[in-house]
Amino acid sequence: MTYSFHINGHPVEIGSAAMTGLLEVLRDELGLRGAKPGCGEGRCGACTVLVDDVPVASCLYPVALAQSRHVRTVEGLAAPDGPLTPVQDALLEHGGVQCGACIPGVVMTLTALLERTLRPTPDQICDALVGNLCRCTGYHKIVEAAVAVGRGEER
Amino acid sequence: MSPRQLPPVIGASVRRSDGQDKVRGAAVYGMDHVEPGMLHARLLRSPLPAGRIVRLDTSRAATMPGVRAVVTAADAPHLSGWVVKDQRLMAADEVRYVGEPVAAVAADTVEQAAAAVAAIDLEIDPLPAILTFDDALASDARPIHPARDTYTGAGPGGGNVAWESGLERGAVEDAFAAADLVVTDEFSTPRQHQSPIEPHVAVGRFEQGRYVVHSPAQYPFLVRDRVAEFLGVRSSAVRVIVSTIGGGFGGKLDAMLEPFACLLARRTGRPVRVANTRAEELATASPRENAVVRLRTAVRADGTLLAQEGEVIGDNGAYSGETVFCASIPPVLLGATYRIPNVRYRSRVVYTNTTPTAAFRGVNAPYCVFAQEMHLDHIARELGVDRRELRLRNVLRAGEEMVNGQPLPDAALVDAFDAVEKVAPWAELTAARRPYRGVGIAAVTWLSNPGPGGATVKVNEDGTVTVVSGGAEIGTGAMATSVRQIVAAELGVPVEDVLLAQTDTDSASFDGGAQGSRTVFGVGNAAADAAGQVREQLLKAAADILEAAPDDLELAEGHVAVRGAPHKRVPIATVASTALWSTGPIAATGRHIAPPLPFDSACMSGAVFTHFVAATYHVHLAEVEVDPDTGAVRVLRYVVAQDVGRAINPQMIEGQIEGGVLQGLGYALLEDLRVDGGRVVDDDLESYRLPTALDAPPLEISLLENPCSYGPFGGKGVAEPPIIPVAAALGAAVADAIGRPVHELPLTPFAVLAALRGEQDGVGKELA
Ligand code: FES
Ligand code: FES
Repeated sequence: MTYSFHINGHPVEIGSAAMTGLLEVLRDELGLRGAKPGCGEGRCGACTVLVDDVPVASCLYPVALAQSRHVRTVEGLAAPDGPLTPVQDALLEHGGVQCGACIPGVVMTLTALLERTLRPTPDQICDALVGNLCRCTGYHKIVEAAVAVGRGEER
Repeated sequence: MSPRQLPPVIGASVRRSDGQDKVRGAAVYGMDHVEPGMLHARLLRSPLPAGRIVRLDTSRAATMPGVRAVVTAADAPHLSGWVVKDQRLMAADEVRYVGEPVAAVAADTVEQAAAAVAAIDLEIDPLPAILTFDDALASDARPIHPARDTYTGAGPGGGNVAWESGLERGAVEDAFAAADLVVTDEFSTPRQHQSPIEPHVAVGRFEQGRYVVHSPAQYPFLVRDRVAEFLGVRSSAVRVIVSTIGGGFGGKLDAMLEPFACLLARRTGRPVRVANTRAEELATASPRENAVVRLRTAVRADGTLLAQEGEVIGDNGAYSGETVFCASIPPVLLGATYRIPNVRYRSRVVYTNTTPTAAFRGVNAPYCVFAQEMHLDHIARELGVDRRELRLRNVLRAGEEMVNGQPLPDAALVDAFDAVEKVAPWAELTAARRPYRGVGIAAVTWLSNPGPGGATVKVNEDGTVTVVSGGAEIGTGAMATSVRQIVAAELGVPVEDVLLAQTDTDSASFDGGAQGSRTVFGVGNAAADAAGQVREQLLKAAADILEAAPDDLELAEGHVAVRGAPHKRVPIATVASTALWSTGPIAATGRHIAPPLPFDSACMSGAVFTHFVAATYHVHLAEVEVDPDTGAVRVLRYVVAQDVGRAINPQMIEGQIEGGVLQGLGYALLEDLRVDGGRVVDDDLESYRLPTALDAPPLEISLLENPCSYGPFGGKGVAEPPIIPVAAALGAAVADAIGRPVHELPLTPFAVLAALRGEQDGVGKELA
């Protein structure tokens, strides 16, 4: 089957079996290797991308479901040669990045949260992050970064 | 050097050099590395915990579509091991654990490789599996390695004891005879899995007669040597290039998939990628060992510790990784924090038919400290002494000796207790007793890994500086921030101008690996040594340009300047490019070795780790609330005071503490890598429960600066230890909350309910 949808604003056509995971399509066919295959079983969130602005675990998300939708990945946030987005910048400013394997997913989850909720509380942020496992940071600095973005300290 | 004289870049929370790539999704991790024409490999793994291979026929698999090579033990027959050389790359005649590699297939796609693996004909004649310590240590137990004693590197021990270490000091029997009270306890702790977000992965190729492997390796030189040993070549025939590392925590120190990638690349003439699935990762990638700790202590009525006997048994699994290497840590660690004049400790690492265990951050310390601190609480309870008071009465003070006779001139345990007290006054916390609320406090002295290393620093012609080293950036920021800060401070250049060469065993000097918090300490020292030599070279080269004596020159703000005449200066870029034609390119290699420290070697046997280099001191306090209906534990408050030597990058250190505490919380409350009938039960992240953002407790951190005389700018190892006392502090707090002793981890809701009902046992008390 062929599926057409938008990736980071650009139309794409993908010939693939319906149940192929979106993550595999992104990484192996489109060369977008930002989203990470942390577990392949929908548990770690390292593969999180936004489908119509909603975070999904792309490893389990069948490509067929992306038909006619808008998919956003970490590569689509800031221009490669442009400045970071407030979320990306805040994560670095607050020391929220260690190994970074979880970070592409965390960035997408926080981006979606901050698009919906202008000033999220730490509790709202933790709730949003519950599907993004980070084995390194203990989450504190990630939460601080999101709070700072909500307060408008990162622009 | 007083803090005021420190260059301002030391103590600055500078950003990581790899940060932009990481937040943009542009960093290339091991799991992202691809090469043209790359094949994919899958492994055939043993379905049984023990048995003899009676048939292994790969002929059908070899002819399947897309298959390029199939290899078995016959293709890599050499014995290898980090310490004890007791393993082959693939099982030869006998399998010893579920998941042990038996064959490997390289094919055009992962699916084709998996199909071929399924087509391999493997028949195993089962042997009775040895799964518990009791079975392994029974006098008539079947030896899992009948050839144990013949292995190169075989340690003290015998039968199924892979390594035995001991420490004895003082007059133990006399002290017990004179005691007012003798307390005994037994503790048991589970396996904990490192579970980095990036599973093990490697891409190998064969090039110019050598193996080249890209891997997220924590200890690239060990991986190099192990690949070489498995494949029967000299170590220089292997080159390890370190990708961005998606987490390690000890799990990526030793070689795991790299030798398969290399062997299959050689066989096929193509690059080969091997990657663990998450299930393989959990089932086969060497976790922290399960353990049993037995303690028996003689005390005086006033709470003075008189003597202690201790026995620690750790599970080696079927083959030896780092666990045997660490067997000698418990005997020193148990006597590193409190004054115990008479001791007899025995530590054994035991073979079982289970997945081999290995290093996980803190190695065996989290369970030894859990046991010791719970045991101290038990003693306090028996004596009716306040728990904190008991600790202060016995804690080692500056200048006192640890159990191995090593003096600790800079011991700061009392300072750490004081720092915690300032934040969370003990009397207040314990005065108002509320049902199902409890507090716990725990202390530990820990080490910085003493492994040696070298680093090269070169000044580029544009005035920037490149550090070439074997230091692996595993996420801590040790390389991406602190080592750069150290070099920037030594050379007076902006930290942004200090660049890191990709870690590659071909270009770097040996380095002892990103383990035991050694990178800032070890690579930092080596880089500082190199930078010091580079500074001399710069001053010498600049002396001609500035027409001044080298002694009158200084380095600051990217320039060489005449001291006292700051307008007479020349940019480092000019010095470096001029030097090409006068003194030659500016570069130097520095070295780090840990200095010898005094200790009493006569009291130890079987010891690899004999003493603590660049010791650090820690106190943790936890306050918890237990739900008596569900058994759920909520951590209300968590306080850390940690000696960091020098806080070179405070933000990165806090990050290590926050992450380490949450891993410790996982160990204490959630994580239990269960093995049933030799099979790992928890082989996905649904049943193996990692802490989420909702589990992160409120944290209050005090960084204590207690400079190490032989660390870079006073720096010590900081990243590993924050995991260590967490299970002890939380366990003590839970026991306090429920009014029952705790002897096992993890304290899941079920375990807490069982303890509430008095179903946990192991408490023992003998009144002398
Ligand atoms: S890779 Fe998709 S959730 Fe882990
Ligand atoms: S930074 Fe390593 S998993 Fe989050």
